[in-house]
Amino acid sequence: MISKYLYLLPEIILLTTGLLVLFLDAFSKELDVGRRIFGPLTIFGALSAGLVSLLFLGEEKILFNIYSVDNLTSYFRILLCGILFLLVLGTQEYNEKRIQHVGEYYFLLLAATLGGIVMVAGVELLTIYVGLELLSFSLYVATSSLINDKKSGEASLKYVLIGGVGSAILLYGLSMIYGASQSTFYEVIQVNLANPEIINLELLILGLIFFFAGIGFKLSAVPFHMWAPDVYEGAPTPITAFLSTSSKAIVIGFLFRFLAGPLLPVMEYWQWLILTLSVLTMIAGNLIAIQQSNIKRMLAYSSVGQIGYILMAFPSLSSETLSAALFHLTGYLVTNLLIFIVVALFYTKHDETQMIDDFRALSDRQPFLALALSAGLFSLAGMPLFAGFFTKFILFQSVVQNGYLWLVVIAVTMSTVSLYYYLQVIKQMYLYDDDKEDSKWSPSLSGIFTTGILFFFMIFLGIYGTPFYAFAEKATMILF
Amino acid sequence: MIALENFLILSTILFSIGFFGVLSRKNAILILISVELMLAAVGINFVAFASFFDTSQLSGHIFTLFVIAIAAAEVGLALGIIIRLFRDRNSVNIDEANDLKW
Amino acid sequence: MFSKIPLPDQFDRLIITGGIVTASTTLFILSILLILKFLDFISYTEVFFWLISTGMIIGALASVLLKNIVHAVFSILAPLLGIVAIYLFLGSEFLALAQLLIYGGGVVILLLFALMMTNVQDQPLVEDGSQKPFSIIICILIGLILISRLLSADLNLSTVSSAELSVLAGVIFTDFLIPFLLVGLLLDIALTGALLNGKTHNVVATKRDGD
Repeated sequence: MISKYLYLLPEIILLTTGLLVLFLDAFSKELDVGRRIFGPLTIFGALSAGLVSLLFLGEEKILFNIYSVDNLTSYFRILLCGILFLLVLGTQEYNEKRIQHVGEYYFLLLAATLGGIVMVAGVELLTIYVGLELLSFSLYVATSSLINDKKSGEASLKYVLIGGVGSAILLYGLSMIYGASQSTFYEVIQVNLANPEIINLELLILGLIFFFAGIGFKLSAVPFHMWAPDVYEGAPTPITAFLSTSSKAIVIGFLFRFLAGPLLPVMEYWQWLILTLSVLTMIAGNLIAIQQSNIKRMLAYSSVGQIGYILMAFPSLSSETLSAALFHLTGYLVTNLLIFIVVALFYTKHDETQMIDDFRALSDRQPFLALALSAGLFSLAGMPLFAGFFTKFILFQSVVQNGYLWLVVIAVTMSTVSLYYYLQVIKQMYLYDDDKEDSKWSPSLSGIFTTGILFFFMIFLGIYGTPFYAFAEKATMILF
Repeated sequence: MIALENFLILSTILFSIGFFGVLSRKNAILILISVELMLAAVGINFVAFASFFDTSQLSGHIFTLFVIAIAAAEVGLALGIIIRLFRDRNSVNIDEANDLKW
Repeated sequence: MFSKIPLPDQFDRLIITGGIVTASTTLFILSILLILKFLDFISYTEVFFWLISTGMIIGALASVLLKNIVHAVFSILAPLLGIVAIYLFLGSEFLALAQLLIYGGGVVILLLFALMMTNVQDQPLVEDGSQKPFSIIICILIGLILISRLLSADLNLSTVSSAELSVLAGVIFTDFLIPFLLVGLLLDIALTGALLNGKTHNVVATKRDGD
């Protein structure tokens, strides 16, 4: 009996660390602990959870019929714990300077990661719903954690209301799918949906429409993206980073398991839905990003557009496209995390006005940060040498092989469009002279270190990403 | 006996009304209420399906129980944020909260 | 803060008018249904079902259409408590009880409390967004499409099975243990969030004292 729970060890570590942080924060006066302890504690928790998940590579075990510990789960455990580790390591100074209740804030980040892992690992609808709400609730609260900033409260209110609507629509869809398939367990759903005598097609199609609309809200896919720029702008920058990396990766991870498992027999009915979402997201996200003058809004629209590329993999669901999508997701996560950590490091020292002009002449003041930021932006645009090119190339190739050439043509066009607005930032950093006086500042050592790791990792993925691709292939193999 | 369709149509109507409220209201508390209506519709759906399957399926009932708990938690959280927003700017209308473009 | 809470005249009026409106609507619907019953179109079970579902729909419509925010929040009681009866129809006593306690006892009170702490007594009338006509059309369309699809769905299931509380508890604490534990964490997060945001922080408090 005990050994069953051992499979949940990474989650237990995250939970324990989170509760410990919350406890120490609540009794900080009595126990005489400073607020500087919470960051290292969180980093330690995330790191150990990530390392422990390495133990479960190659396992295939389903707990209580609702929770699957396999390679896909391990992949996402490592990915999410890694993101949390690097994020907290890189933005520790920002958090301690800007955020009043830093203990609760770290607790929320740990809880969000835990919820995300549950959502990816769950093989039952109720479990994934609870995981999703755990993630969403933590992020609603974390968005509001800049107590003295009006924008933060406003962003949080918008997020909680629109997130609630998204959840309700998603749940309505799930209830219809439950009605059509008569079960909430993935295995049974798959068996029942494959049997045309049991399923009720009308219910199923209605359910699928609502389901994908709800997922659209959670992924901020066009036309359900309107909350994303506001929330990204108002949230503290590390939370923006979390929103654009982990939170999207989690929903994509859930889609891997759900679409390739239970919904596979009825693929013809949802193919066009996700195709529409993907095309609209790619086009609108990239086109709207051009007009933005606020860096966080610009990055918000850019990550909306980037999700469109990943969604391309689902209409032609096969083992190659899924592993390519997972590989591209990894590249996207590394790149986006790098960009947001540089932005957070920059705004640790400067007032958070968030304008693209703020980065004027960054190359003179902080050549390394400027280099890392421009490398990250080039990678997002898909320039060779960086992760973005190699991973995107593999993704596009696999999508073309499955007969969606026109989709790739749109995607490539949009990649080119995206280069334009990424270049706006790079232009500000390199082509203008410094006209500000406060040029003496240096980011924290841990910040430089994190940026260095991510920078190295991004180049490494771009030049020699084959081992990671092999890992992604192994992770998605479990689905078929 | 009342047929399954009746329950589903009732939930559909409630869901549409709730969605209409979300789209048309400006006051944050009223939007929250409309979300509760939508979640109530979800609850009816789940319990109706669960009750009408002749196997001893209980997932639907348990799902609704969790939805009720989570929806109540969401109300508490959202009201906390609404009160903070009211303290910040003396209004809970989401379009008067325009430091961010809606 | 408490001196601004509108007791008792506003509430008296609210309760009396609300009671009269509710009672007359109920009587009206009930009489129509009883006539239908005596003409042998429907059975007593159906009389109750139709009475409750009509009440729920009227309450829901009132809560999204009424201009007065206090009235709108009170009308949400009709659909939220009507569901209790619906759950009973569907043979789920425990859910009915939970719904009654959580919504009737908790959520609506919480909503009213939040309402009184915001500026409702100064301006109880709210304006709706400009997209209202557009959203009416959208929602009627969604509703009609859904209903027409559901009617053509041909659901030939007609047995109601009830959920025994002991069986329900057994399943929750064995199969669904992980989500159950996680919901505890989720409530913790909601509590943290409500405290973090609802708490009066020093900087804000001094500003409020000034005005």
